[in-house]
Amino acid sequence: MAEYRLGVDIGGTFTDIVLLGDDGALFNKKILSTPDDYSRAIEDGVRELLETTGITAAEIGEFAHGTTVATNAIIERKGVQVALITTDGFRDVLEIARFRAPRLYDVGFRKPEPLVERRLRFTVPERITAAGMVDKPLDEEAMVAIAARCADVNAVAICFLNAYVDPRHEERAAAILQEHLPGIPVTRSSELVPQIQEYERTSTAVVNAYIRPVIERYAARLEERLAGIGITAPVNIMQSNGGVLPAKVAAQKPIFIIESGPAAGVVGAQRLGEKLDIPDCIVFDMGGTTAKASIVADGTFAMAPETEVGGDAALGHRMTQGGGYVVQAPTIDIAEVGAGGGSIAWIDSGGGIQVGPHSAGAAPGPVCYGQGGTEATVTDANLLLGYLNPDALVGGELSLDWEGAEKAVTALGDALCQTLTDTAYGIHLIANARMMRALSAVSSERGLDPARFPLLAFGGNGGVHVCNLAEALGSKRVLVPPAAGLFSAVGLLFAETEHQCIRAYYNAFDELDLADCNAAFAALTDEAEGLVATDGYGPGQRRIACSAELKYVGQNTALPLPVPALPLDASGLADLAEAFAVAHEATFGYRSDGESVQFVSLKAVGRGASDAPRIPDSIALKRDTPPPAAARKAYFGPEHGWIETAVVPRASLEGSPQAGPLIVEEYDCTTVVRPGWTATLDGWSNIVIERTD
Amino acid sequence: MIDPIRLELIKNALVMVSDNMMVSVLRTSRSTLIKSNMDFSASILDGDGNMVAQGLALPGHLGATMPALQGCLDYFGDDIGPGDILANNDPYAGGSHLNDIFMFKPVYRDGVRVCFLGLILHHTDLGGRVAGGQAADSDEIFQEGLRIPPSKIYEAGKPNDTLMRLIEHNTRVPNTVMGDVRAQLAALITGAGEVEKLIDTYGADELTKYMAALIDYTERLVRNAIRDLPDGEAEFTEYNDDDGVGGGPVTIHVKVTVQDDEITVDFTGTSPQMGGALHTNYWFTASLSYAALRTVMPADTPNNVGFYRPITVIAPEGCWVNPRYPAAVGARGQGGYRVRTVVTGALTTLYPDRMPACPGGNEFGLSVTGMTPDQKRFLLVEFHNVTGRGGGPDADGQDAGPYWLGNMANTSVEIIEAENPLLIDEYGFLPDTGGPGKYRGALGLVRQYRLLAEDAIVQLRADRHVYPCWGIFGGKPGGLSHSYFVREGKREEAPSKFVKPMKRGETFRAEMAGSGGYGDPLQRDADAVAEDIRQEKISVAHAEAEYGVVVDKALTLDAAATAALREKRAAN
Repeated sequence: MAEYRLGVDIGGTFTDIVLLGDDGALFNKKILSTPDDYSRAIEDGVRELLETTGITAAEIGEFAHGTTVATNAIIERKGVQVALITTDGFRDVLEIARFRAPRLYDVGFRKPEPLVERRLRFTVPERITAAGMVDKPLDEEAMVAIAARCADVNAVAICFLNAYVDPRHEERAAAILQEHLPGIPVTRSSELVPQIQEYERTSTAVVNAYIRPVIERYAARLEERLAGIGITAPVNIMQSNGGVLPAKVAAQKPIFIIESGPAAGVVGAQRLGEKLDIPDCIVFDMGGTTAKASIVADGTFAMAPETEVGGDAALGHRMTQGGGYVVQAPTIDIAEVGAGGGSIAWIDSGGGIQVGPHSAGAAPGPVCYGQGGTEATVTDANLLLGYLNPDALVGGELSLDWEGAEKAVTALGDALCQTLTDTAYGIHLIANARMMRALSAVSSERGLDPARFPLLAFGGNGGVHVCNLAEALGSKRVLVPPAAGLFSAVGLLFAETEHQCIRAYYNAFDELDLADCNAAFAALTDEAEGLVATDGYGPGQRRIACSAELKYVGQNTALPLPVPALPLDASGLADLAEAFAVAHEATFGYRSDGESVQFVSLKAVGRGASDAPRIPDSIALKRDTPPPAAARKAYFGPEHGWIETAVVPRASLEGSPQAGPLIVEEYDCTTVVRPGWTATLDGWSNIVIERTD
Repeated sequence: MIDPIRLELIKNALVMVSDNMMVSVLRTSRSTLIKSNMDFSASILDGDGNMVAQGLALPGHLGATMPALQGCLDYFGDDIGPGDILANNDPYAGGSHLNDIFMFKPVYRDGVRVCFLGLILHHTDLGGRVAGGQAADSDEIFQEGLRIPPSKIYEAGKPNDTLMRLIEHNTRVPNTVMGDVRAQLAALITGAGEVEKLIDTYGADELTKYMAALIDYTERLVRNAIRDLPDGEAEFTEYNDDDGVGGGPVTIHVKVTVQDDEITVDFTGTSPQMGGALHTNYWFTASLSYAALRTVMPADTPNNVGFYRPITVIAPEGCWVNPRYPAAVGARGQGGYRVRTVVTGALTTLYPDRMPACPGGNEFGLSVTGMTPDQKRFLLVEFHNVTGRGGGPDADGQDAGPYWLGNMANTSVEIIEAENPLLIDEYGFLPDTGGPGKYRGALGLVRQYRLLAEDAIVQLRADRHVYPCWGIFGGKPGGLSHSYFVREGKREEAPSKFVKPMKRGETFRAEMAGSGGYGDPLQRDADAVAEDIRQEKISVAHAEAEYGVVVDKALTLDAAATAALREKRAAN
């Protein structure tokens, strides 16, 4: 009996399902999401896929899940009523936040309202100093009185000042609450994210308390539905950092699964790169409303120490902050722009043409979907340029209204005094220019030359735009993986179980108590090891990696560095300082040997590696390819004009490189190979496109 | 013939070049001012010095770049060539204040100057009487630091060692400043490389043609936006409590005239220049006026000279917002807030359905310095310029809502306490300080500090202790700022600008002004008032006195008593 792994990624519009056999057989299914109860589409889709493939539920050994349920609960304000308890004098930390707005000159901008209103924010006399001394003891009577006032809430979050240094007041306060309010879940900031910065830690604890009951209910319902089909495999959920956790564990700390879906795509790309010996690549994911970019360099993806949930698409984290709720959870660093297939093209009052950020979304969608859309979108332009099949998308489940698209784009062209072709191609190029911002944010803005990175493209529209973008970046090589239209779901299957244990450790190297530091690392290591063991991994399957965030004393931004050799001695510490200086120079352009270095936080990451390989040696796509369409005319810009272009299925590229122009048509995505490029298939069924001119 | 698609692509490419320069600076600079406060801006100007594109910029930089380049062009004339980089920080030659060093790199193709790249950086310290160059009590520019007239910091591809060494020897923090200077130069050189590639792609003539088209396009966009605004004229007056050295108050008066597709902002009637260093020089005044006007423009209007063309800013020479040489301007940051609020006031008067009342806050800038118990120097510098948004036009001013004409983050209490012998006892809203109105102004904020070291010196730069943040259309002003020390249990009142000692265990409490209200408070939705009471943002007494709203013991609205009280108030 073959064994299969099931991956399910829920997006706003579609739920993507893949089944991967240990022999590399890959089956997939796209189904509309069911926002009233996301687990329903999962059950329906999995049932259908099992029926059509003849695979039985008993053959499924693992279930990995990427989900936007946590994010949606926040955006739609569907969390529970939370009370917050803080140190006397700091009732408003949550509402004041950091005072940043993502954009200037907008008098109508309002930052998101706090998830806990002021009347449910209670303060208690207590104070611990930055040095861990008790300035004012916890007033336990006051805590009892607060507990009485919390009787009607569904969850409580506690965040005291300097609790990252010394959690004893928070611990005692939580104990009092549990004694007086049994059954009400308490999130304690020092337990969840023991890191410096009171606003960020408070916000994180509150978000966690706010969505935890929602996610717990969702996870339970999902497991029930799967059990109903007969799937008894463990359910794992993808975290924002690229590792998976058992659903029950993840549901207790849902702040770590907020960027679940996007993370899966990047992990998939990184693992695939590892397999194919491609340690560096730019990951490009273009969907219906946004395009995302991230980078894998030397086999690792970049991480951001925190993220914002519920804000607009953001180009990384530094430039535009303040639009959402801050969550101090390590998150794969992904730049995002509001440019996707559904982005609307429009003319501003100065007579200029713009594409996005408004999107026709899933409803009404592009004009050519014939669901009531009237404004020209990128997908409409791509259809008119011959890139998309006018007769069928999603394997024939969706036919397109060519005339409608033509009418909408012609109207734009008339206003600009441009031909239909020039207007459609213009929309395509302007969308590319928008996406270049995201691609440049993860490459040249970090001092990495994009020309030396191959591009790995996926998402429903990634393959349509990637060749043109590669030309603009100077990149010579493009990969479009199998099942590219639902590659995030594939990526889910390659991740390993991962627990992160972090604690703040705000101590300068030149005043360091080495024994204390080593004890802290040892405690973290034990904790991580214990968590992985609880998931069922034996001693030989557990891998623990320690790292630390370091900065120069007085500086704002810290850098993560691996701490390979423990316990640390004086020379190990010197090595660490040197490694930090080197990383600092690479990141910020200078090193500063006169200044002292300090720890900000310590971390142990525990991974559980199963004995079977996570990624198969080859992939066999098991989906009937559409009947080979012969050819159609497609437009490749004024330098090439309209060309009669062959339209082929992916499998036909095997063993015989074919020169562009070429269109590869599949169930879930379309890949456009421009003139001057040649496409072939590698052993893993990736379309490999290389520049030949 | 201009192809609108090509125009959009070139616009994107130019903005990307200037954004890439910004990111390059962010990556390679050294100071907190650059890395955290992002006090710098990048731009591209055409070969004649007209601004074509500007990256993410501070409001105070919007109109500052062109005059600084013009200062260089006036001085050097034809004596500029490939490989030169120009520098200028002289407020009296188009500069802003001494900390802002402007640099420009021309790009040539076949002997013709195609464009300039520009970069403004606020440098941490360039000497002068007081570290940081921000002292409010300087009298003359000579006290404020190193003045660099239009100069070449690179000539024909070689650095000007004399100038570099002069800078290095005139700063208290040479590592930081020289690091930032090199970051500034490196970003300009990188940016020039990217522009060269654009010239390769499009050709110099084509790029020049489209840069001009981009300016025209922006001008069209802005003129159309102004034409959409109803014509009108409004005057507004604001006050600074003092001039920084005990003189004042300072009157700032403006008349904004919107006619057809042009706007005039006229500061005639403003106090003459005084003592102190809070003056805003002409281009800073103009920049902040442009910034205030951007709030009534389409959000994605490009930043280039086309934006300024339909706007005229008049500030009589010798007045407080256009002082004559050699007035000091180092602390113009505080004065600049009054320029923002006065122009906003005129705009709100003109466009009551688009603009709110005055934002709250007192431009609070604090420094505390001394020795830690183990004899290391500590220095805390923090700013809380704004506390929240003014009420209106159709909603309350959001409490702690970020300011649309400034974007400075507050600093984490835990980081301050980890790095300084200070303890912050309180940081939060001050109930009853939001300006009453149909739409309430945001609450003021309090920050209270306790010293854990033996001794320290505290310096404060703030305002709004005398003149509050205004309300409008019947809305009342927000609560005033107020600050005091508590020494040995006794309260000692403090003014808005001072330098004072502090000892272990003493506290300094700063109450920062609330925002203005919008419209008649008696017309405020009584349920919203009751909700404010339940949230403890206003007291029962305040609700009754200011809003004529009565609640019962359970804090639910007493509709009958409220109607009666409001009727009685309205009759008076």
